[in-house]
Amino acid sequence: MDPLFLALSNFRRRNFEKCVEICTELLNKNPLDQSVWSLKTRALTEQVWVDECDGEEEGLADVLMDDNTIASVARPGTSLRSAPPSSAGGPSQTFRPSTQSGRPLSGVVRPGSQGGRPGTMDQALRTPRTAQTARPVSATSGRHVRLGTASMVSTGDGPFINLARLNVAKYANQQNIAKALFEYIYFHENDVRHALDLAAQATQALNFKDWWWKVQLGRCYYRLGLFRDAEKQFKSALKQQDNINTFLSLGRVYIRLDQPMASLDVYKDGLDKFPGEVTLLTAISRIYEGLNDLPKAVKFYKDVLQCDATHVEAIACIGTNHFYSDQPEVALRFYRRLLQMGIYNCEIFNNLGLCCFYAQQYDMTLTCFERALSLATDQGIADVWYNLGHIALGIGDINLAYQCFRLALVSDNDHGESYNNLGVLEYRRGNLETARAFFMTSASLSPHMYQPHYNHAKLAHKVGDLQTSFIIVQKALNLFPAHVDSQELLKTLETHFQTL
Amino acid sequence: MREGSGTASASALKEVLPRKGILYQEDFAYLALCRPKLMPLKSVTLEKLEAMQKNAQDKLRQQQQQQQEQQGLGGVGSSAARPNIF
Repeated sequence: MDPLFLALSNFRRRNFEKCVEICTELLNKNPLDQSVWSLKTRALTEQVWVDECDGEEEGLADVLMDDNTIASVARPGTSLRSAPPSSAGGPSQTFRPSTQSGRPLSGVVRPGSQGGRPGTMDQALRTPRTAQTARPVSATSGRHVRLGTASMVSTGDGPFINLARLNVAKYANQQNIAKALFEYIYFHENDVRHALDLAAQATQALNFKDWWWKVQLGRCYYRLGLFRDAEKQFKSALKQQDNINTFLSLGRVYIRLDQPMASLDVYKDGLDKFPGEVTLLTAISRIYEGLNDLPKAVKFYKDVLQCDATHVEAIACIGTNHFYSDQPEVALRFYRRLLQMGIYNCEIFNNLGLCCFYAQQYDMTLTCFERALSLATDQGIADVWYNLGHIALGIGDINLAYQCFRLALVSDNDHGESYNNLGVLEYRRGNLETARAFFMTSASLSPHMYQPHYNHAKLAHKVGDLQTSFIIVQKALNLFPAHVDSQELLKTLETHFQTL
Repeated sequence: MREGSGTASASALKEVLPRKGILYQEDFAYLALCRPKLMPLKSVTLEKLEAMQKNAQDKLRQQQQQQQEQQGLGGVGSSAARPNIF
């Protein structure tokens, strides 16, 4: 069989390693064969290709030295960074846990949404102490570099193309291989400057008439943090050709500029051109979710499900929303659907277990949690134990609950929720000092939660330390202004001080 | 109420039906527990990224092991050549 045909066939069947192997052999025989060379670049690219529209990790420098945000004090409901409005109509903070950035917990975690946005330098620097959520120092380092090294490791004998010696101008004029070469440089080598150089020369060579190159230029600018330049390129590309990917990229530019309303407009424009496009609808829902407008987010997720009934993210997010709006039996149906679709991991069984318990289907609960524990990785196991602690509390087995929360802490020493719940248990046992220590630890580990502050204030109030109680209950109210118990505690304290 | 002690306690407890004023109930504020946490699923991209990272780590580890083994073999040879000081 012709080896080139075999390589092509392997490429189509996504056996990229085999394809690269054959291409390498062919190139050893004839280094000037452009078709083989181009095929090899494409195969290498496909190995490390990731969907960039799904979000990206922001590095420490990007987050802290971010001067792209247009309004430093944005109006409520128009920013993804400032505190979300609490009265947006969804379930309140009492029921729905929030992420570190104060956003409601989502049904799906994406590359950008892992760590959340720390509010201060102090928080940001403290986060990497937990080895699991270490934040790269800059977007140009971090995962991109790690993947770059990954690709170098896989090739073994040095890089395939020596970028420093590449004659960019020559390849920019050869349109048949320039595009594959660009993607190789951008994805495989992660060398954005060279990629930008190639894209700029190629688009010039075509007299600025090819929208594809404009999109690629925009992506390079985006990766380099030049968001306004990226915006120009994407808009110019959209004038020539409507493309879903371009709409998504332009929307992401506005998200980085912290203009969620502008990106909503872009996505809606996109929907006018491509009605019922799932990726655009999902992007809209993500923004509403980030703005804490959960009813709208769910509405768009439901639209997604109208168009694509097997959309995992939509099902998971709707399920999460039902669970936290006091409908665990409905949530159970959504998660069961995910299980039927073939998702089989720790998270799904944990969620099924919780839904079963709160929907009063007690027979399945422990089985689900057993399964979740057996499938859990190091990252997830703390949460499973934590949730099991809640089941134990639900059936009144305080000792088991205590042990579960302890086990959660064994797996993840920075699990703030477990510390708080342990504090509550210690309080009930009458060990007030231990409880106080737990609340303080919890508050310092999870600065986004109001519960430890409130509990600490309550405890201080009980032992007569009114000043401390007064200070701390205000912290709780800062985090969750609508919390009735904290408001009442504050009122009691205020009346008390006034009578003195 | 339990049957056995019913007669004694029933006479001790009088039912209260206020004719005027507001009927009220005392509300205790308990400590706040953190809520159970549904675990978010991982998106496809995230899973792919993690898988790639894990692959790369495994490969690196393998290479390091191979290197160490080679060095180890070399080390054994050199120690044999070294004069025994004991």
